[in-house]
Formats: sequence, structure tokens, C-alpha cells
Amino acid sequence: MASVELRSLTKYYGDNAVVDNVSLTVTHGHLVCLLGPSGCGKTTTLRLIAGFVEPSGGEIRVGDKVISSPAYALPPERRNMSMIFQSYALWPHMTVAENIVYGLKLRKIDRNAIAKKLDAILATTRLSPLASRYPGELSGGQQQRVALARALIVEPETLLLDEPLSNLDANLREEMRFEVRRLHDAYRYTTVYVTHDQVEALTTADLIAVMNAGKIEQAGSPEDIYNRPRSEFVARFIGSSNVVKRKALDSARIEFAGQPLRCVGEPMMAGQTIAISIRPHDIGISTGKPSHNENAIPATVIRQVFLGDRRDYIVEANDGTQLRVVTAADEGIPHGSAVWLHLPPECCRALAD
Amino acid sequence: MNSSSFSRRGLLIGSSALVASSILSTRVLSAAPPASTVTPELIAAAKKEGKVVWYTSIDLKVSEEIAKAFETKYPGVKVQVERTGAERILQRIGQEYSSNIHAVDVVNSSDASHLVYWKDKGWLEPYVPEDVAKFYPPEHKDPDGTYASFRVFLCIIAYNTSLVKKEEAPKSFADLLLPHWKGKIVKAHPGYSGTILTATYQVSRDLGWGYYEKLAQQDVLQVQSAAVPPKKLALGERAVQADGVEYLILKEKESGQPVEPVYATEGTPLIIGPNGLFKAAPNPNAARLFQSYCFTPECQQVNIDIGGLRSAHPQAKDKPGRVPLGKIKLMKDDAAAVLKNGEAIKAHYVKLFHV
Amino acid sequence: MTALAATAPVAKRRIGFDPSMPVLLLFAAVLCVLIVLPLAWLTVYAFTDKAGTFTLANFRRLMVDAAYFDPLLTTFMLATLSAIICCTVAAPMGWLVARTDMPMRRIVRVLVTASFVTPPFLGAIAWELLAAPNSGLLNQLYRDLSGQTGGAHILNIYSFPGLVFVISCYTFPYVFVLVANALDRMPGDLEDASNILGAGSWATARRITIPLALPALLAGALVAFLQAMTLFGSPAILAMPAGFHTMTTKIWSLFQFPPQPELAAAASLPLLILTVILLRAERMVLGHRGYAVVGAKNSEPRIVRLGGFKWLALALTMLVLMCPVFLPYFALLNATFSKLASHIVTVNNFTLRNINFVFLELSATELAIKNTVILGILAATIGTAVAVVVGHITARQAIAGHRALGFLATAPVAIPGIVLGVGLFFSYTRPPFVLYGTLWILLIAFVTLAMPAAYQQLQSAFRAVHPELEDASRILGATRLRALWQITAPLLRTSVIATWCFIFVSVIRELSAAIMLFTSQTKVMSVLIYDLNESGDLAAIAVLGLTMLVITFVIVAVANSLPAFGARRAA
Repeated sequence: MASVELRSLTKYYGDNAVVDNVSLTVTHGHLVCLLGPSGCGKTTTLRLIAGFVEPSGGEIRVGDKVISSPAYALPPERRNMSMIFQSYALWPHMTVAENIVYGLKLRKIDRNAIAKKLDAILATTRLSPLASRYPGELSGGQQQRVALARALIVEPETLLLDEPLSNLDANLREEMRFEVRRLHDAYRYTTVYVTHDQVEALTTADLIAVMNAGKIEQAGSPEDIYNRPRSEFVARFIGSSNVVKRKALDSARIEFAGQPLRCVGEPMMAGQTIAISIRPHDIGISTGKPSHNENAIPATVIRQVFLGDRRDYIVEANDGTQLRVVTAADEGIPHGSAVWLHLPPECCRALAD
Repeated sequence: MNSSSFSRRGLLIGSSALVASSILSTRVLSAAPPASTVTPELIAAAKKEGKVVWYTSIDLKVSEEIAKAFETKYPGVKVQVERTGAERILQRIGQEYSSNIHAVDVVNSSDASHLVYWKDKGWLEPYVPEDVAKFYPPEHKDPDGTYASFRVFLCIIAYNTSLVKKEEAPKSFADLLLPHWKGKIVKAHPGYSGTILTATYQVSRDLGWGYYEKLAQQDVLQVQSAAVPPKKLALGERAVQADGVEYLILKEKESGQPVEPVYATEGTPLIIGPNGLFKAAPNPNAARLFQSYCFTPECQQVNIDIGGLRSAHPQAKDKPGRVPLGKIKLMKDDAAAVLKNGEAIKAHYVKLFHV
Repeated sequence: MTALAATAPVAKRRIGFDPSMPVLLLFAAVLCVLIVLPLAWLTVYAFTDKAGTFTLANFRRLMVDAAYFDPLLTTFMLATLSAIICCTVAAPMGWLVARTDMPMRRIVRVLVTASFVTPPFLGAIAWELLAAPNSGLLNQLYRDLSGQTGGAHILNIYSFPGLVFVISCYTFPYVFVLVANALDRMPGDLEDASNILGAGSWATARRITIPLALPALLAGALVAFLQAMTLFGSPAILAMPAGFHTMTTKIWSLFQFPPQPELAAAASLPLLILTVILLRAERMVLGHRGYAVVGAKNSEPRIVRLGGFKWLALALTMLVLMCPVFLPYFALLNATFSKLASHIVTVNNFTLRNINFVFLELSATELAIKNTVILGILAATIGTAVAVVVGHITARQAIAGHRALGFLATAPVAIPGIVLGVGLFFSYTRPPFVLYGTLWILLIAFVTLAMPAAYQQLQSAFRAVHPELEDASRILGATRLRALWQITAPLLRTSVIATWCFIFVSVIRELSAAIMLFTSQTKVMSVLIYDLNESGDLAAIAVLGLTMLVITFVIVAVANSLPAFGARRAA
């Protein structure tokens, strides 16, 4: 099995670059997640990989072979890929079993082998009692598993998933997130997974590519994306974040609430206005002054909410900036109290524009 | 709907009364009212009514030309021409009258027996225009004054001169049965057309039904109205018509179309088309005015010159170039017999020709 | 006791008489009378003899007498063949238009609409001009090209195949529309899923697209069958010269002199029963299978690239469209301007005399046009109003028995036009409702015939409007009717306009009921054309026919572009 490589992939609809110069390598056996809000181009990218859409520029390779380019695109039926659609696309006039074995029948595999594989996959996806039902008679979760079974049974080189969990309710979604990862680990396909849900991405992916307006803003492992966001968009999109814009004092510090604040991340220049991201649960909050002076900011508690497993504060620094702070569910610091915030430097990320 | 209006019993009663009265017709016990002249009061009253509704089976263009001639003479009175086949006219008037709808003022039919029928039902108004009283011979008017022969014409054989050479043209009904005319004949239907019903009666009486039995094997193009075969001939759709109105053939020939009439050696059916006025006419004065106009030499000349028809008015002049009526061997007409046998004739025809 | 609220009370809502219920019930009652009355009279006439006693003699005559049994057989064969031809032609065309990149797809859709709007009897007359064995323009062309003479011809429209052909020409739009719509709405990812698993275009079409479109095709075939079975105009024009009857022309002939209404009623019932059976069968076949698509968010279907084949496909499609549209319209235009309809218009024989005749000399024209337009507008307005109210009742289940009401609204689809004409004739030529001779009886016929389609269109539109929108209005004090008028109806604007236009068009082209019910003062254009055909005035027919088409196109175009009526604003 080979890796899937996107090189400067571009797709125009009219004047609009829906996919704009996207380059990405999906190492074989890995699960890559294309994450982003609606309209960012992730589904189009997926359909480009599947061959349903032809690129305006750039190319797509599987291994060494070019399968998509403006000049030529291999039709979907010859790419040896499998796809799970957001609507599942189960054929209503066929039973569950018929839906699942459709791909095998096309490959002209003999009947006994088909029956064996069918039984295996039905067991894996726990669909055995439903084999002769019609899709219209199944629940959302069951339909999703049928779609999964249908895609996996043909043992494709590449598996493509287009927001497969977005039609499920919250509980089922949680269960299925793990299920998808478990199956991927079992079969080790090269998988491209499109979603707008960051939790899904964080749970399932080896590599996350955050997309916005047709471009990849940042690609990296889940820890990378979360802990070291490089742009404001990524910082806001993954997890929650406080983002403040300040003037840099020098290459490592900015001015904040009348004090210097040490940051890491993108290189800064003195006088440059730069955005800093710091996550709410990275900020320490205490009534007494912290031991070390660095990155310690005085503030006042504006609001405090008890959420069972944590406390959610809004605090206001003395220059009026409001920050959100999340702590463990200890004793709450009441509204109006003066507090000290501690912003660890390695958590204050300077962001690129 | 009161279907008894149309029961066979009704017709038989009517026809037997007619037979009785025809025996008595030679008596000069005329129940006809005195002749009516066209007075300025009549014209004014007609203009007030504004229109006259004329149900007619004369070909549409000819009907409209007669209407136009009337409207030109009496501006302010419009003629609404309702043209359809004579047999349909009978059905429509019957349907309307049995639902108490009185829409028709004057009727002209190529089935003279219908006028007898309506007279028997008491629906016709006795009204004798001046010209009818003065000039029309007795065989062309009702002794009780309810109708008179508006038009006289023939139902003829004819052929298309560009498709058929003069020497090869049929000269008799018997000729039409020859095998080389198979598939080349067009004819009309007695169930729709009064002309054809009357002609079928005369031909079947004089030549026997055997003629029609053989004609039915000739793959004829069956149309409805007797006004259609001349048109089909002109179009070149068929080469020969077995029946159809003479007046359209004459009109077409005179306007340069390649058609030629044939007056069969066995005789040509004579068709009388009387005009009658209804008692319950919605526009009675306009109706009287129109009826009076119809029998004037003026209108009869319009019939001849523009309509290709023939006239019973002695002052109307035949158009040169046409064979005068006196020179043609005619079959005898008999309205009473048509009234009596009409249904049977239609049924027999349908059986032979399948439609 | 607690103190009363300190705030001033809101002015009490005036609880007056809510007219909603009685009005709804009134509409329901009107619908019942409209449909049940003629059918009841029809049954009475079929099962009684002239004396009024119960008898089965009328039916016995039908079965035994070949003059009645043959037309039944002919009609059945006619309808079956037409349905097959329609499906064979319309299904591929629907696929080409909805799913491929064949050029000029929008134009093809428009042309199919044009053939839908053309009255079938007008098409039959136009085809007489084209394919009469000797004078037909196409046969003349054949003779010119092949050098043959005399009566040689390749097309004879006065024949059973000729009739099947003409009927198919004007019935295939029904199948086309159903198939094209089904394909339009089919989610693209059903086919994508098949592609990605390894099936090429053809395998996907065979295993996925066609089976899923089959219900629409079946429904279309059924509609085509029913239409072909109940047409009156085309058989009346082509079958009689060819020497055979269909059931509709036979029923018509039973009203000729002397009329035999009992036989006409008895002959009408088999048509009615057959229709009902076929409709039930369709529902049973489609019932189980669950062809509704599951899952959410339907995607646009992908276009199939035809490559070089697209020009061939376009050529074939245009060839098909020659039959209902190009050739007949040409023939009508030719007959309008030519001195003789069998001659092609040239500089020498160009004339305006025919137009002059129809509009200035033919005395029936003005009245016929006036009647047609008045009836069209009235029927469309009343019919749409009734359909809106009844659609609302059934969609919101507003009164008890709403299901029966919905059934009644669609029942007329099972009643052939001429049968309804007969039934209405029986109902309204006797006291207490003597409507025969007035425009009212025609109005009733037209509204009744158009009701099923109008109702179905509006019902699906209603379903798309969430009931909560009306509920929100009612909770604020509006009566049900007011909510309907102020909230729902404006939202349904496009559907309402579409329905109005649809009823208008169907009134203009209606002949089978009109031919039974008209009198000289209430003649409509379709009947006038029919009369003119019997007297062979082809040029006048061509002029009137083209006028009919112009009126139709103009009214539909105007209604769709007036902003007040909800024209689509530029996106």
C-alpha cells in the first residue's frame, strides 16, 4: 500500500479557489484528518482524492502514480479506494447484505469467498441479525455501520470518510469515534477523514490538517495542533483559547497589562503587533501572589461558574482585558476578588498572521 | 334529458302524419299565413335585437358569405353562423329544446325531412316571405308556411383532373365499383350529413343496397361532412369522390382548382336545403328579417354566384359555364321517405362501412 | 387569596364567530357534490332501462355486440402500445436531460413542455397535414425524393399505427417529467458510492440508477396508459377515416341521433373501473419497497460525460422532438399562410386570407375565444382556491374525514373526460340544477377534471411548509382561515401560480368533456376546432390552433414574470 500525496492541489469554481494550493502527504497506514469549518474546502479535497472532481491545478499521486491532474483523472471506479458518505448513501432497494457485498460482486470474487467475508464483516460491525433488512428499517447508528462494512469489505488501499458521524446523536457519536479508530488500527488502511468536529479529529487522527478558506493552515499531530497553534484561526478552532493582540517589546516578550509577558512560538520583532494565544486551563489563578514574578498578572474576578468538574472564570486585568480561566472544581474565588494570574511562558503562544 | 323526444315512436308518429298530409296536400286548403313584407318597423326591431343565430349545414365559407351579404344590406344586425352537419343539427336542437334552451333563430338543413319533423313538433313558426309567396313553386315550400327551399343542389361524383385523365374518369356509380378505383375514393357519412343521408336514400332506392355493399369493399376514405370530399379532392388526397356537395366542386373549379364534376348516367341525387324559423326564437324580428332576405333574388343570386348553389327562385340566373339543372338527369327526392327510413339507412350504412 | 397581578390586563381578544369550520365544511360539501353527483347519475343510467327498472341488459349488449366490444379491445391495445412507446422514448430522454452533459438540455426541457401544452387533437390535425397518404407534406417529400408517383406513400396517418403514433407524441411528456424529476432528485452520492466501489457508469446505471427510477417510470407508464385510453379528440379525427372506433368515440356516437344514454353510461363504466384498478395496482407495487431515500442532506447528482456521443444523443433527441413539436407546428404555420394546405408556402401562394377569414369573417371565432379565456381564468382561479383549501385540510388534518376528502379530490383522475361529460350531462340537464346551456356546466367539468393534479401539486407544497408557522399565527389569535391566508398562502406563492397556470392550460386543451356539454352560445375553441375538422376547413383550424397556443404561452409567461405574483428575483 502506497501513500497518498497531494501536490499544490487547486480547484476553482468560477473565480473562487475552493481548494487553494494544498500540499499534503498521507503516509500509508496513517489516518489523516482534514479539519475545518464548513466551506473550507475539506470535502472538495476529499472528492478530488476520490476522483469525483477534477483538479484545476496540481496533482494527486498514489505511490508514484499520478491519478489526478488537470490533464487526466483516473475515474473513481479504478482508484481502488472506498468511501463512506455523510448521508451513508445506502441503496434503498437492496438489503443490508446486498449493499455490503456490492463491491465484492463487481470484483467477480467467487460466491463462497464472498459469503465468508460477509459473515466476518457482519460480525465485526455487529450487524449479523440485520443482514436481510432494508436500509429504511434501520436506525442511524445501524446505517452508519452498514456504510462502514460496505466500505471495508473490499479491502481498499485508501479509505475516505466524509463526516461519517455528523448525523448521529451525541452518545452514539462518542462511541463511534473510538470504533472508527479501532477498526483503522485493526486493518491499517490509509485513511483520509473529513470533519468539522475537533473532538473527532483529536480522537482519531494521526495527523490533523486544519483547513480554512481552501488552504491548510497547519498540519501536525494532535498534540502539536493543540499545544502549539501557529495561527489565530487554529488556536480558536481547536480547543478554546484566549487570544490577545499586543505590541512586542522584543523578540520574546510582549507588553501586557503594563507588564512584560514572555512568550514562545513565532519569532517577534520589537514594535510589531502580534497575537498571543493562551488556553484557559493553562492559566493559574490564586488569591495570593505567586512565588515567581515572571508572567504574573493581577486581575479581578468578574464572573465565576461552577460546572461540576471544573470552574469557569472570567477575569479582568487592570488594562480592561478580559480572560477566561478554567480550573479544577476546588473552592471558588468569589466575584469581585482580586487575584493573581500565572501565565506559563511555554503556554503563551505567539501566532503567525 | 327527456329521451322520449327522440324515440322511434315519436318519429313514426310524425312521419305517418306527414304521409297523411301529403295525400291531402293537393287540396288548396293552405293553412299558410299571408305573405309578409319587410317593413321599416321590422328592420328597426331587428336592429334592436342586434343579431340572428343561424344553424346551418351549408359549407362554412359559403355560410359566412351569405351572412356577410345580409349584414351589408342591414348593418346593425349580425349573423351568428353555427355550422355543423345536418344530422348533428338535429341532435343539437333536440338536446337544447329538451333542456328548455332556445338558442336558435333560423335553421337551414340539407336534410329536408328534419324540417318536417320540427314542424310536426310545433317548433316552427309559420312565416311566408313575400318572395316565397309570389315566386316559389309549390313543391319548394311548405303549404303551412313553415319552411321553403333556401337552396337546391346536387350530390355528385367528381374527380381531380391532375390525378385522373378525362377519358379515364368514372361516368357512373357503377364505374366506381371497378377494381382500379380501390383506395382512391373519398366519401362522406349519412350519420353526420343530411346531404349524404338523402343521397344514400335515393341511390339505395334506385340502384339497391348492393351498390353500397360493393362500394364498402373499395377502401374508401370515410369523412363526415359532404363538404369535405371536394376539399380532399382539391388537396389531392384522393382522386375521386363518390359523393359530396356539387356547389363546392363548382366553386373550386371556377377558382382554378383541378376538379371536375361528373353527373352519373344513372342519375344524380337532388338535395333540397330548406330554411325554417323557430317559434321560440330568441331574436324573432331579426329572424324574420333574415328569413325574408334569404329568399330574395339578391340572396339567391349570392347563393348561385358565390355559393355555387342552385336556386328555386325563377328570377335567379344560372351562372354560365355550369351545366344547367334542366340538362341533368336527376333522381327524385322524397323527404317523407327519408324521415321514415332515416334511422334504418344509417344503421345499415354503419354495418357495411364499420364506422 | 393571592392578590391579582399588578400589571394592567391586556385587552381581551374578541372571541367572535370563527368562520373557519363552516367554510371548510362548505368546501368539502362542494367537492362531494361536484364529484359524486355525476358518478351517481352515470350508475343510475347504466343499470336501468328506459322504463326505470333495474337491469343488466345494457352491459350484456356491450359484451355481446361486436360493435361495442371491438372498440373496447382497440382502446386497450391502443393504450398499451402508447404506454410502451412513451416509456421507451421518454426514459432515455429523461436520463439524458437530468444526468448527462448533453448540450441544450434546458431547451429540450422547454420543448417537452411545449409538447405537453399542445392539445392532442390539434397535433392529430397537424399530422393529417403531414402524413395523409396523398396530400400529406411528408409523403409529397417522399415522392419527390424517390421519384415515385401516384399514390405511393410511406406514411398513412389514417390507420391504427398512425393513431398510436400521434397519441404517443402528446403523452410522452408525462413520462418524461416523472422520470426527469426522479432523476433530478436522486441523491448523487448513491451513484458515487457505486462508482467508488468499482462500478463504471454503465454498471452503476444498471444496478442503481434504473432500479431507483423504476417507480417513477411505472407511474409514468400508468399515466400514459390512462391518458391514451381516455383521449377523445385524436381518435375522433384519425380513427373514423381509418374505419374503426375507440371506446371514447363509441360513447360519443351513442349520443348522436337517436341518443342511447343508457348504453353510453354502460360503456363508460368499464373505462372507469379499469382506471381505478390500475391506480390501485400502482399503489400496491410501489407500496412496500421503500424507495424513499434514507439519510440526510441529498447531494447534487454527478454529470455523466458522454464524450463524443453527446452530439449523437442530441441529434436523436431532436429527431424525437420533431414529431410532437417541429413538424406539426410547421404544418400549422404552413396551412395558415398557404392558399392550399397541401402546398408548401412560397412567394406565389402566400396569403393572409385564412387569418382574415378566421378573425373577421368566421362569426363563431369571437365568442369561442371569449368563452375559452373566461372559462380558463375562472376555472383556474376557483380550482386553485378549492385545491388550496382542500390541500390545507388534508395536510393539517383539520376536520374529521379529511382522508375521505383527499380521496375525493384525487378521484376524478379515474374518470375519463368523456365519461365525466356524460355524467355531468345527466346531472345538470334535469331539475333542480339545470345548468346545461350555460358556461357553468363547462366550468364544473373543467374544475373537476383539473382538481386531482392541482390538489397533488399543492399538497406536496403544503408538506414543505412546517405546520408550526401556522400554529405560531394561531396562538396569537388568528383563526385557521386567517392563518392560511396570511401565512401559508404567501409561502406557497410559486406553487399556487404554477397550479393556476396548469389548470388554465388544461382548460384550453380540453375537448372530451366540452364536446358533450357545449351549446352554440357556450362553444369553446377546442370544440370549434373539432367542428371545423368535420367540415374540413384545415386552414381555419391552423389559424385557431396557433391562436390557442399563443394565448397559452402568453398567459403562462405573464403569470410567471409578474413580481406581484412572485417572480423569482435575480439571485
